[in-house]
Amino acid sequence: MTNLLVPRSDVGEFRKRYKWMALFAVLALLAVATHLFRLQVLAGTEYSAIAHENIIRRVVMPTTRGVIRDVNGKVLASSRPSYDVEVVPGRVMPSARPVRYRGGQIVARDPDSWPKLAEVLRLNPEERRTFEARIRAACSSDEDKSPCWKTPILVREDVPRDVIAELKQHTDELAGVEVVSAPVRFYPYKNLGAHMLGYVAEIDAETLAKFRPRGYDDLPREDQQRENPLGYEAGDTVGATGIEHAWESYLRGQRGWEKRVVDARGRYRSGPEAERLVDPPGNLDPIPGRDLRLSVDIELEQAIEKAMRPHAAGAVVAVDVRTGGLLALYSKPDFELNDLSGGAGRARVRETFNRLYADALRPMVDKTMSGAFQPGSTMKPFSALAALQDHVIEPDQSEKCEGYVTFGRRIFRCSHVHGRVRLREAIARSCNVYFFHLAEMTGMDRIARVAQAFGLGQKTGLGPNPEAPGRIPTRSWYALRYRGQFRIGFTLNMAIGEGDVTVTPLQLAMAYGALANGGTLYQPQIVEAVQTSDGAVEQEFPPRVRRQIPVDPDDLRRVTDALLDVVKDPNGTAYPARDPQLDVAGKTGTAQTGYVPKKDEDPKTAWFLSQNHAWFCAIAPAHAPEIVVAVLVEHGGSGPEVAVPVAMQIVREYERLKAVRLGHAPPPKAPPTSGKAAAHAKEHVQ
Amino acid sequence: MRLRSGDVGALGRVRDHFDWTLFITVAALAVIGVINLYSATSVARGVHAEDYIQQIYWLVGGGLLATVVAAIDYRHYERLGYALYAGGVVLLLLVFILGREIRGSSRWIYIGSYSFQPSEFMKLFLVVALAKYLHDDPRLDGRTLKDLVAPTLIAAVPTALVLLQPDLGTALILILVFVSICALTRIQTRSLVWLGVATGVVAPVFWSYGLRGYQNERINAWLNPNENILGYNWDPHQARIAVGNGGWFGQGFMKGSQNQFLFLHEQHSDFPFPVFAEEWGFVGSLALVMLYGFLVLWCLRVASSAKDRFGAVLAVGVGSIVFWHAVFNLGMATGLLPVVGVTLPLFSYGGSSVMTVLIGIGFVMNVSMRRFYASPTRTTLLGL
Repeated sequence: MTNLLVPRSDVGEFRKRYKWMALFAVLALLAVATHLFRLQVLAGTEYSAIAHENIIRRVVMPTTRGVIRDVNGKVLASSRPSYDVEVVPGRVMPSARPVRYRGGQIVARDPDSWPKLAEVLRLNPEERRTFEARIRAACSSDEDKSPCWKTPILVREDVPRDVIAELKQHTDELAGVEVVSAPVRFYPYKNLGAHMLGYVAEIDAETLAKFRPRGYDDLPREDQQRENPLGYEAGDTVGATGIEHAWESYLRGQRGWEKRVVDARGRYRSGPEAERLVDPPGNLDPIPGRDLRLSVDIELEQAIEKAMRPHAAGAVVAVDVRTGGLLALYSKPDFELNDLSGGAGRARVRETFNRLYADALRPMVDKTMSGAFQPGSTMKPFSALAALQDHVIEPDQSEKCEGYVTFGRRIFRCSHVHGRVRLREAIARSCNVYFFHLAEMTGMDRIARVAQAFGLGQKTGLGPNPEAPGRIPTRSWYALRYRGQFRIGFTLNMAIGEGDVTVTPLQLAMAYGALANGGTLYQPQIVEAVQTSDGAVEQEFPPRVRRQIPVDPDDLRRVTDALLDVVKDPNGTAYPARDPQLDVAGKTGTAQTGYVPKKDEDPKTAWFLSQNHAWFCAIAPAHAPEIVVAVLVEHGGSGPEVAVPVAMQIVREYERLKAVRLGHAPPPKAPPTSGKAAAHAKEHVQ
Repeated sequence: MRLRSGDVGALGRVRDHFDWTLFITVAALAVIGVINLYSATSVARGVHAEDYIQQIYWLVGGGLLATVVAAIDYRHYERLGYALYAGGVVLLLLVFILGREIRGSSRWIYIGSYSFQPSEFMKLFLVVALAKYLHDDPRLDGRTLKDLVAPTLIAAVPTALVLLQPDLGTALILILVFVSICALTRIQTRSLVWLGVATGVVAPVFWSYGLRGYQNERINAWLNPNENILGYNWDPHQARIAVGNGGWFGQGFMKGSQNQFLFLHEQHSDFPFPVFAEEWGFVGSLALVMLYGFLVLWCLRVASSAKDRFGAVLAVGVGSIVFWHAVFNLGMATGLLPVVGVTLPLFSYGGSSVMTVLIGIGFVMNVSMRRFYASPTRTTLLGL
């Protein structure tokens, strides 16, 4: 206690310092306060926005692609749910990430959930190794935007529901595993109408770049909307061909989104406390895609498929001559839409494509509109009309057919020796010699004018697949094409649909439609109506007349009468294969392909390709035309022998279906009875 | 009045001499600190979920200790100055023997289920030792370099031991406390120049070779605040967002989204301020800064009215501990300074930290209560 008694020490040394110390402290804390002012007041809104961004996530709400139905409401294309399993590399296998330190200590990493996933999905050792290698490769760096976090790896597609249930059960042990529900396009009729319907595929980089140009992500929302009205994103499914492609904007629908509150670990939070933080608008409902109702009757399509079974390749177009509505578009060979649309996995898509592109029969080409073929004798009615129109020929005057005719040094052959034939017989029996004389008198350009008036050699404007224009040659076309002199042979060949004349089955069907309905060329249409997903009709497409063809009704009647004889007259080309119960008119065609075999070609293929194209254009019922069926059997041989039976079978099925729909006959219960039922239906109709 | 009458008892004198301003300031900080800790740890599950209750225990315990510390006349501490200091150094040495390594450094000594950090208490022992030294070495003219050797050694020993743990934050505080106390004395201009030159030489060397890998990383992170946001910059980045998110008036108690949605880490220890700033905004933050500022200034005021050199240095030392802790913690939480593990007095959770601050305040209270002139003859144990 002694030192407590000594006088207190002198504090004079310190006295002047307190002021300065206080000043220093005040200045330092003032600096802190200034900085706080800057952060909280000046940049407050900015930081609030970042804090808001931290916790608000826009969750995309998918839309559903529209359903395509046939004229009777049968579903041709719809979407079914499919569950894919994806993994975020950095989360499913934290051990693959580079080691990190914080506070001088290795940052603890969560245990891997990958082995559990492999077990649930029952991956084989091979698959496990492949995916593990990919995950490790992705996580060579774990920076903010590296694939380790940004790019999920697809492990399994279209996982069965029970496996999904199992995954849901073990959610806690499966960090970084995501089940992505991706709707898959489903085509219940598989191959049927494949070209017309088309398939869907993942959007390719080029198309995507068109909708999302450089710097797209930084654009304001309205500009984005203008650039990319349908909201395409990488990985989206788009229609690749056919109606799926042409009507994409209707079918696609519009995505919606919903704002969700997430915490720093990426878990969703709910409750009033979380909802308070969501700024309006909180969500945008998705708009489902529009449904399409086609004019196509899938049952007729089925009948066509059946009728075409004996033949390797070809095309059939069935059109309602009163409206231009297409009842069927059929191209052979075809493909399985579900395979190409990813319904059976991505591997199958690649494999299918490889197979299809290697096929000599060109299954990827829609032959109804993308393929142009010599029409052969199906051209003759138009040549005849050209001659009649300008009164170049006297229809009742006969020509003598000796089986061939010579012009200059060339011999032009006929199929038979027809003897003396008038126009009507010439068409019914398909006499080339008569038409050579006719062509010589009429001239190429007159025939071309009529053919073009009927829409041959011109695109019809039907959207689904790229159309081949075909060709109706004229003298000027030859003048451009050939250095040499114009030869009369060109005109002769053209009059019988050979040489340089090509048409698509669709064009021919429309042209015959105009013959059948008295000269009205319709715009072919395949979509009858656009409907909302709840069935309300939003838009209907009434028949559209492309043009009224200036043709004398008498001339037209002469030609159509002849077309009736093709089937009815015992000498008619289609007579042998006719169905006496059917009221059909039409015109056969056997078109030479002028095929020159290539070197090293497989002899079988060469033989096949050198065969003629078989045609038949049928009008039914002949006396009150409703439909035209244009049948092309590619390299099938003779039109009368090959194409006519096919067309007859189709018309028969058309009549049966019509009867069934009108309630005149019960639908067939089993295939064997169908013939009887058809016959039964016939009785009622007639 | 009563003082003059001389007939009031010891308790009466305590009441009259008691520094209510100091008490209320510290009590306010402690209460706000606990409330903030409640909010900060409301999102935590498991070990930290009830930290605020534990913190109340520490505050009560620390308050009792501070009362005892304040009650005993500080001239007794002056007598025991070096002994206390030696005890502190021994405890620091014991850390190396008894301490367990947690997250790469050994800072704790375990007694049963409790642990404490000798380096925290060392701050006080250093202040006491320096106060003792300056008390015994009164000068009227400026001090030369030679005169500064002894106090420098007093500071250097614990600093070196703390650096070895390693605990850069505490070492930094020890150095700054030493510098602050030196700033109180009169030093020759020539010596100051030499000291400046020496610092200029040593600092870059230390910068290049003395820092550990993670310390360099943190400084790099601080220099490039927009990089490595998922790594070293996560905490300062999210803390800055939280502070900014406070705006003028804050999001409201328990409503800071950065805290509620787990974007802040270490919000109970190193980053309690962002939680507070987000909830109470600039207005609340400014009030808090002013409260700390007031406490520091009050310590200086107590020092200036102290009747002897020991008391003055003691008050300045404790004031500097509070000041540097506050400045560094606020600075690091707002991105002004790199991340160094420095707690926010009375806000951060932790027994050693709370006790240290409260005992320190006990010292200041002690000095404050004994600023009234007391004649040597009437001096008792309590010195009142």
